[in-house]
Amino acid sequence: GVSVFLAYLFCILVTLLCVIYGAVMWNKDK
Amino acid sequence: MNLTIFIIVLVVYLLATIFLGYLGWKRTKNASDFMVGGRKTHPYVMAISYGATFISTSAIVGFGGQAANLGMGLLWLAFLNILLGIFVAFIFFGKKTRLIGANLDAHTFPEFLGKRYDSRAIQRIGGIVVFIFMPMYAGAVLIGAARFIEESLKLQFVWALVIYTVIIAIYVFAGGIKGVMYTDTLQGTIMLGGMGALLILTYVKLGGFVSAHKALTDLASKFPAALAKGGGQGWTTMPVLGSPIWWTVVSAIILGVGIGVLAQPQLAVRFMMVKSNKELNRAVLIGGIFILMMTGVAFVVGALSNVYFFREAGKIAVDVVEKGNVDLIIPAYINAAMPPWFVYLFMITLLAAAMSTSSGQLHAMGTSFGRDVFSRSKYSADYKEEKSTKGIVSTRIGILIGVIVSFVLGYFLPISIVARATSLFFGLCAATFLPMYILGLFWKRANKAGALAGMITGIVTSVFWMFFVHEANSKIIGIVTAMTGKTSLLGAPWKSMDSIVIAFPLAFIVTLIVTLCTKPMPKETVDKAFKKEEIAISK
Repeated sequence: GVSVFLAYLFCILVTLLCVIYGAVMWNKDK
Repeated sequence: MNLTIFIIVLVVYLLATIFLGYLGWKRTKNASDFMVGGRKTHPYVMAISYGATFISTSAIVGFGGQAANLGMGLLWLAFLNILLGIFVAFIFFGKKTRLIGANLDAHTFPEFLGKRYDSRAIQRIGGIVVFIFMPMYAGAVLIGAARFIEESLKLQFVWALVIYTVIIAIYVFAGGIKGVMYTDTLQGTIMLGGMGALLILTYVKLGGFVSAHKALTDLASKFPAALAKGGGQGWTTMPVLGSPIWWTVVSAIILGVGIGVLAQPQLAVRFMMVKSNKELNRAVLIGGIFILMMTGVAFVVGALSNVYFFREAGKIAVDVVEKGNVDLIIPAYINAAMPPWFVYLFMITLLAAAMSTSSGQLHAMGTSFGRDVFSRSKYSADYKEEKSTKGIVSTRIGILIGVIVSFVLGYFLPISIVARATSLFFGLCAATFLPMYILGLFWKRANKAGALAGMITGIVTSVFWMFFVHEANSKIIGIVTAMTGKTSLLGAPWKSMDSIVIAFPLAFIVTLIVTLCTKPMPKETVDKAFKKEEIAISK
């Protein structure tokens, strides 16, 4: 059960990773 | 659903699509515009176009239905899709591909590989593989869309197929990749809205986030008996480690990510459409959200549909649809549980998902024909043909041939083969292109002899495995049965393995060994491909 909960969590975390990476680089590349 | 309202919504959407195709046509001045969008695409357009081409209707409806049956453990697939399909693909593959593609003036994925290895043969063989095998995959998407139009508009199947195919052919033919990208952006944005609304409405309908998941967990005793016997433990729990159902879920996850995605010509070419790494960095932000909202939402809503059906009808999702066909679960859930306005939005969402995938395929087939098979590429040192219009006509001829072949294949091939077409094409692409693509990007020592040897190994092994060993395919194709009377040349476990599991590693090893046994490529060829790397990567 924990591993399904983790799958849900990791989906959100990896999306946040994409968003944060994109935002940080956006700021840097301005 | 009111058919008149739906037709009005549909016509507005199609007019917008045709207008964007016209805009693409107006802004296409030369071959570079037609094939790589002049290498100046906006990051939002590139990311949405990549995502919308990646995700077809079958991903939303099919994945959602699978999750309704097998549960939320499939969310690991969504996680890997975002991590590999977006984060790793854009940052590690995308930046290198953009750099080398711009340095070598490549307009298509086979041309990119051909020029990286200074081999016209690689470009031609790559173009032939795309042009011969992609129509089957494109035909599968055409069929899916036409079935859907047939159902929703009560049209005859053949007319649904003709109308759908002609509309896409017009804007790809006229607008080139700009027409494709502009329409992809509209379609992808509609998909984002549709799937976002679906997630919110589902949680609202089921009484909130916590209550919905708790209700689904409490339903575990209703999990289909056949699955429970094989090790399934409910929709919010992974199956028993190592049980048959656990293997079903895990192999669906591994094959679904399909390392095949990394070597899809219509996706890889999109990395060459942006001006610099700056755009790729920004595209990661959009792309990650997009894939989460597609596959992630499909899995969550698919699994949660069980709660709705159990509350309303006392049955779980797979028992509601006829013959337990999981592909019907998402449409049944939308029609039963969602407000009427959403049904229209979702219909357009599914149509947009199919169209954006079809258009990318048609464009890739056209460029493979016009640019790669009858190679027009200049392999001489400093020639840049960014301003030439050469190749547009032959690419348009290729698009027309690709459309007709896909249409005919889609119409005449038996449904059992069409259902396998997507995984066949992904497997073939992974074995043919991926070894030399990975090595060509990250290993300067990679050379022509190794790349060609690996490519031939990948093609031959894939085709042999599909026709003679992997039972799911060989049984349907029937050649092996006609020759030997058996459905597979090998016994278990070989006959249940997908070709990608065998052909890709084998091709990779052959590429490595042959490369190490032969001379490196001339230094100036390699330096030209990787020049400005230090500056470009750090940006």
